[in-house]
Amino acid sequence: MRLPESQLAVLEAASATESISVDRLADNTGLKPETVTRAAFDLRDDGLVSIDETVQTSAEITAEATEYLEDGLPEVRLYRAAIDAGADTEPVQMGQLIGASGLAGPQVNIALSNFARKGYGSIDSGAVSADPDADPDTDPEHNALAGLADGETVADEDILAQLERRDLIVRSEQTVRSVTLTDDAVTALMEGIEVAETVDRLTPEMLTSGEWDDVEFTEYNVAADAPSIEGGRKHILRQTADRVKDVLVGMGFKEMEGPHADADFWINDCLFMPQDHPARTHWDRFALDVPPIQSVPEDLVERVEDAHRNGVGEDGDGYHSPWSRGFAEAIALRGHTTSLSMRYLSGYAGADIEPPKRYFSVEKVYRNDTLDPTHLLEFFQIEGWVMAEDLSVRDLMGTFEEFYAQFGITDIQFKPHYNPYTEPSFELFGTHPTTGELVEIGNSGMFRAEVLEPLGIECDVMAWGLALERLLMLMYGFEDIRDVHGTLCDLELLRETEVLY
Amino acid sequence: MPVVDVNPDELRRLTGKEDKSDAELKNDLFNLGLEYEGETEDGEMQLEFAPDRLDRLSVEGVARSLRYQYGDDRGVYVPNTNDADWVFEVDESVPDERPYVTGAIVRGVNLTDDALDSIIQLQEKLHATMGRKRAKGAIGIHDLTMLKGEVLSESSTANSITYKGIEPDGDRFVALDSDAELTPADVLAQHDTGKKYADLVSEYERYPAIYDEIGLFSFPPVINGRRTEVTTDSRDLLIELTGTDQWTIDHMCNIICYALDARGGTIEDVEVHYPHADGPYSESGAELLRPDFELNEKSVTHDAIEGMLGIELSSDDVVDLFERSGLDATYTLGKDVTYTVSVPPYRVDVLHAYDLIDDVGRAYGFNELEPTYPDVGTVGGRHERTRIEDAARASLVGLGFEDLLNFHMISAEENYDRMRIEPGTDSLGAGEPVVITGPYSEDYTQLRSWVLPSLMMVLENNTHRSYPQDLTEIGLAAKVDTDENTNVSEHRSIGAVLARHDATYEDAKARLQALCDDFGVAIETPAIEHPSFIPGRVASIVVDGAQVGVVGEIHPAVLVEHDLELPVSAFELDLAALNK
Repeated sequence: MRLPESQLAVLEAASATESISVDRLADNTGLKPETVTRAAFDLRDDGLVSIDETVQTSAEITAEATEYLEDGLPEVRLYRAAIDAGADTEPVQMGQLIGASGLAGPQVNIALSNFARKGYGSIDSGAVSADPDADPDTDPEHNALAGLADGETVADEDILAQLERRDLIVRSEQTVRSVTLTDDAVTALMEGIEVAETVDRLTPEMLTSGEWDDVEFTEYNVAADAPSIEGGRKHILRQTADRVKDVLVGMGFKEMEGPHADADFWINDCLFMPQDHPARTHWDRFALDVPPIQSVPEDLVERVEDAHRNGVGEDGDGYHSPWSRGFAEAIALRGHTTSLSMRYLSGYAGADIEPPKRYFSVEKVYRNDTLDPTHLLEFFQIEGWVMAEDLSVRDLMGTFEEFYAQFGITDIQFKPHYNPYTEPSFELFGTHPTTGELVEIGNSGMFRAEVLEPLGIECDVMAWGLALERLLMLMYGFEDIRDVHGTLCDLELLRETEVLY
Repeated sequence: MPVVDVNPDELRRLTGKEDKSDAELKNDLFNLGLEYEGETEDGEMQLEFAPDRLDRLSVEGVARSLRYQYGDDRGVYVPNTNDADWVFEVDESVPDERPYVTGAIVRGVNLTDDALDSIIQLQEKLHATMGRKRAKGAIGIHDLTMLKGEVLSESSTANSITYKGIEPDGDRFVALDSDAELTPADVLAQHDTGKKYADLVSEYERYPAIYDEIGLFSFPPVINGRRTEVTTDSRDLLIELTGTDQWTIDHMCNIICYALDARGGTIEDVEVHYPHADGPYSESGAELLRPDFELNEKSVTHDAIEGMLGIELSSDDVVDLFERSGLDATYTLGKDVTYTVSVPPYRVDVLHAYDLIDDVGRAYGFNELEPTYPDVGTVGGRHERTRIEDAARASLVGLGFEDLLNFHMISAEENYDRMRIEPGTDSLGAGEPVVITGPYSEDYTQLRSWVLPSLMMVLENNTHRSYPQDLTEIGLAAKVDTDENTNVSEHRSIGAVLARHDATYEDAKARLQALCDDFGVAIETPAIEHPSFIPGRVASIVVDGAQVGVVGEIHPAVLVEHDLELPVSAFELDLAALNK
């Protein structure tokens, strides 16, 4: 038989006739008590020892009690001062006694509350009477404390409970284990047991030498907590964007790409946004201090200007708003990624624009809003459009029902809406999956003829937009988007947020 | 989006639906596109709606739309108008910037407190929307009995008022909410309303002013005179509008007239006499009769309606739906049925046949339509730019970096000063800034020219969180570049920081190498100087002879500036460098 060294030592120190405690075995073997305990359990599992367990209660005196052993219990000190002051015959004023006894601070109250309880006398209207028959020298609580301090045991449960209530002792329960050899162990010892070496770590040398086959591995406490580490992870808003992109690619959409800083022509004029539209004032947009765009397709600019001034079609009307080429050419941060849709639909971005087509982007847009828990100055817009012959609003509704169903939102309502660039237009509402609230989840519509005709598109195009952050907040239930997106983000929140898939 | 406050009792009264509950009203309004946002202190419903149907900016207009929706009204309604008794004379001196005027007389209006509040609200909301904060059009409503018209000639019984331009200190009047006689210039300097709208006219050489025989009574677009103030006792009203576009003020006037008609008023025409038919008046001509209630006509084919809504309808159904939208329609029978649709003069949103189809759809009920998934096959796919960005991000996350997402806008202080670099110098990140014109927040004044400043700010804001903090971001950085069509060069930059008690140059470079190895890109790292990094522990990242980034240990002065108490090593690399 081979056993690890510690188990063999315990086996040799134990007896078949006498039950020996773990502490004594530890003393005899020179091992730590916890090592002996672990070895004993392993030996028991192998049927080599039996273990008896008894529960022992022990009491230790506190620092306060040690102080009282030196100075006397406060109630005893009060009694002695009272006797000295003659309170055994005439009541004495408390103030006088406290001064004489030298009690201070919380000790005063301790003395008063225990004085009467222990029969040292009585207190009435601030005057103390002492019982001349009381004997402070045999105070049982003092004696018990003194005994415990000398390592004796105290059997009187009432006294112990009282001392525990007074915070003068701390009691604890301990399981004492004692070990007895089994017959199998005696047999094995007689036959002789070899020591099996235990190792902490598996080393390359052990593997190459084959030594691993001869060793026992030290057992670890596998139930214990390991130190915490932070792995790398993709930002949760990026994860949400990925999921949106997956869904859209699966629905046959191709991704668009284009400039963040762009001419107002692409951002607004192509979209049939009148130049005096409130969203185009400097309060809402981020104009940039750079020279105007160097080139825009000349014929397209003319057609767009004509649509603004005169409308399109035989009886179409234009806006009654000023239009200047200078404003169209000024550079600003895009307020929506519909600028990309315009670039693609015009063919200017190099895309083939023969129908049918589906395109999307999940990219940043910039709005001069007030920064608050639900509004950022820059956020991600999901933008998508479908171009085909003969699309109806029913196709638009069916497409969005399909998209939102992928995110668990299945009861879309279409609220008729107005955008300068789409007609009909709808705001999309859905029920929040957890709160049950009706929330706005997108804006959509069929691009107007005033948008499509100048671009040279002769079929139907339906489009929609949605803030990615809104979808994120719906999915994760975040309350303040600034914790997630931007330099005020909280790393802890990002680290602890559960992965959604 | 505009919000209109509507008293639900008034709405019930004006629609004749006294028994509708608030909940029923809210539902009916939602279907019209008016969303219930809450209620005012006085218990009025706050209704938000898109800014197309500006004729719904008051309870009268909302009630009119509901009556059409309920089917209680059908087709186009045009109020009768009486013949003109008043003339708006426009003098040669009128400011060039604001040459147009229009208006109407309304008699016998029953102005209860609610009605007066509603008309005042309508006026304010029209100013905010169509009027573009009064710049494009401004409304003045006056108590007619307080006006004394000038007699034009002995042969005519007509009264007149005159719209002209005057010197800023050319006359005095007592403005609303004031006791003192002030000149227009004084009003702009001293009166609260004057101060608010001073910017609209302060550059004008001559200020707009309207006179009757007694004198100056209106200073558009700023404020009316106190003499003609409208109260609940007023019965006869004079409405004048001035602006920069005739069509716009005419339609604002129409919306006001329809609301007053709903309050029992009788509309009376006014004549507008411009000084000539040239220049700004070449389209309108010298003499106009206002308000202009002429119907606008548009045509739309049956096929276009069915195609857009994706349903089949009979021609009679379509006409019915038009009439329930407050429109009139006639159609010609034949192979291609075409409707000729008459649009009432309070509608400002009908530019194209599409807008009529939208009305048909709303009257039909868009939510009644059965959604269908379009039978259109296309092939999806990601753009190469985002694919490489994602691949780089996956490599960095695999190397243990926490991926971050920061703003592209930043302040010059964060982008340059706190990183110890100067704009316009050679150091990476020191490119010429793309500056925001007239920024509102001092925290966001330009686009960032590199990513590391954002990551340093995240470290600064997270010193209470556990370390190591190994962070990365792949995001936009930009600088001015006149070789670009937009004059802005935009690129995706990879930033990475290792904030840990033992971070060294090697830690950053090891990860940089691992990243570049993933993409098969060989780098060299010759020593350079960069003020953000410790001298002697910073290198340029060079790929095929071109500088594409920087790697090093962040300078202690930068760390201290960001309240960091441990070393940080970092690199920044142009994402395009990984695209061989």
